[in-house]
Amino acid sequence: MRLVLIGMNHKTAPLEIRERLQLSSGDDAHSLSELMRLPEIREALCLATCNRVEVLARVEDGGQAVEQLREFIYRQGNLEREELERCLYVYQDREAVRHLFRVAASLDSMIMGEPQILGQLKAAYRQAVDNRATAVLLNRLLHHAFRVAKRVRTETGIAGNAVSVSYAAVELAKKIFGNLKGKSILLIGAGEMSELAARHLIRQGVGSIRIANRTYARAEEMAVMFQGVPVPFERFPEVLPEVDIVIASTGAPGYVVTAEMVAAALKRRRNRLFFLIDIAVPRDIDPAAGEIENVYLYNIDHLQDVVDANKEMRRIEAMKAEGIVAEEVEIYEEWFNALAVVPTIVSLREKMEAIMQGELERSSSWLRNLEGEERSRIEIMTAAIVNKILHDPITVLKEESKDRDELPYVAAVRRLFKI
Amino acid sequence: MIAVVLFKTALTVYLISAVVYGASLLGRRVMLARIATGLMLAALAIHTFSFAARWLAAEEGPVVGLVEASSLFAWVMAAAYLAFQLKTKTRVLGAFISPVICLFMVIASVRLGGTVAAPAILRGSLVTLHVILSVAGEALFAVASCAGLMYLFQDDQLRRKKGGGFSRLLPSLGDLDRINYLCLLWGFPLLTLGVLAGSLWARIVWGSHWQWDPKQIWTLLAWGSYGFLLYQRLVTGWRGRTAARWSIAAFVILLVLTVAGRPFFQTWHDFL
Repeated sequence: MRLVLIGMNHKTAPLEIRERLQLSSGDDAHSLSELMRLPEIREALCLATCNRVEVLARVEDGGQAVEQLREFIYRQGNLEREELERCLYVYQDREAVRHLFRVAASLDSMIMGEPQILGQLKAAYRQAVDNRATAVLLNRLLHHAFRVAKRVRTETGIAGNAVSVSYAAVELAKKIFGNLKGKSILLIGAGEMSELAARHLIRQGVGSIRIANRTYARAEEMAVMFQGVPVPFERFPEVLPEVDIVIASTGAPGYVVTAEMVAAALKRRRNRLFFLIDIAVPRDIDPAAGEIENVYLYNIDHLQDVVDANKEMRRIEAMKAEGIVAEEVEIYEEWFNALAVVPTIVSLREKMEAIMQGELERSSSWLRNLEGEERSRIEIMTAAIVNKILHDPITVLKEESKDRDELPYVAAVRRLFKI
Repeated sequence: MIAVVLFKTALTVYLISAVVYGASLLGRRVMLARIATGLMLAALAIHTFSFAARWLAAEEGPVVGLVEASSLFAWVMAAAYLAFQLKTKTRVLGAFISPVICLFMVIASVRLGGTVAAPAILRGSLVTLHVILSVAGEALFAVASCAGLMYLFQDDQLRRKKGGGFSRLLPSLGDLDRINYLCLLWGFPLLTLGVLAGSLWARIVWGSHWQWDPKQIWTLLAWGSYGFLLYQRLVTGWRGRTAARWSIAAFVILLVLTVAGRPFFQTWHDFL
């Protein structure tokens, strides 16, 4: 019984190749059933995302399973053998487990710590379960992988901080306002990045949104999209006091929002905290506005600095996460190895009990002459003898499983007791 | 006796909670802060029982001396903080609050031994009221200044545009400012009533409402600063950094009065 993981990811394969595999494996159910038809595959799971295509399988020992899996991938990709060969990685047993855990914990992702991969893995697992492609081993392994992902998420800061500029803006808004419910935004200029930031903010519960754009039609268009209110561009200073967050991204050559405007607005809003985000180049908001108390001004470079600092932190946290993965691989392996001795222990016990029952049967004629209580005492005693005899061998077998790989005692016990 | 045991248990649990809070801040672990909050809640419950036990045991109604006042101070701080904690996710604020709580618990425990027979003039419901109200008000101010301190800290981090992991743990500016405001809003009337109760009592004992005692003058100064701050907050819309700084300064005045003032002034008020 072996575990094999074969596949490719964004590091090993260029987009064109991943694309072609992705396209053909679009119908997961189909590829799963094709996999399960391979002679030496016992359990299987297909994971296909935009950054990776992987097949995890439990296969028969010593056969051609790995080769069969390779063939399967070549067929799926409909590509030249050599071309694919360079992109593929194959992990077995311990390494396969480690790789799966790393993938689940988002350590192997393009953006380390991104949360989608876990959802994708869960979906892939569900698909496999629905197609009856999994059994004890993969079930246990996948649940363990989900647990590892959760542990990494709670015990390290790997997914903690924003690593995109638009999301960094959301995180800052939370640090300033706490709860974003009921807060309002003003977009000055309706670019792509401000749209993205606005989307994030709305998802966090920001209440209302106003859009001022030089081309009024575009402002109206976006207002429909966000259920917001369009504001004529020259009148945006009037709504400044009513909003909490301003995102400026116009193509204007000079400052569109002056420090005086901000100061006046702040006075009208009785010093309520004011968060200004300037993602325009050249800048839209006079940097002097950021010096005013209760005003927090971030420009594109500041946001990028935040992102860089966060990326650095994720890198440090990732090292902790690797430690957790290593620990969990150990735990899984212990279970896995114990699995190898369990059937032997069970048959050993069954055999001994059969002998005991048989002997009790044979003596049943004279046992019948005894009192009920005495008879049951004899039964208890024989059971105790069997248990005492079995105790040490079973302990040794269990111990042996922890030292992994070779299991000489299992073989010895099987020969000695003919089981 | 039970009261003493309960009190000491509460003190120990507060101390552990403070240590765990500190660890959560240094280790940047939210999980630890969660545990610390639980510990503080337990400590508060035990502390409450210790009050109940003490006051049940006292024959002639509650006696309010230094022990009770310090202990009450800690109790109000813990209760107020935990109430805010329920409303907002300000767990890390506990790392600033819990050492102060521990400090007052330790002060209380030093004198814990025997109930000092309070001088005759310090018995009566007006005195009790005076102490309870003033102490509760001051404890709320202590919470306000802790929130203010943390506000300045977070504000500084945000202004320096450092996205480091440290400020991730800190509560948001909005929450800290609200805590600062609410503590002020509740603390001020409590202190005012406390001072009034005291002055009524002074009238009965010493014949006049006001003795121009140094302690009274300092208190008046602190009371005035808090009043000014509350006025500015309500009327001119002070917020954020200025309000935080002011509340810290006012608390320093209070602190000077209670801690440093003792050895230097000749005061009528020196029983507390």
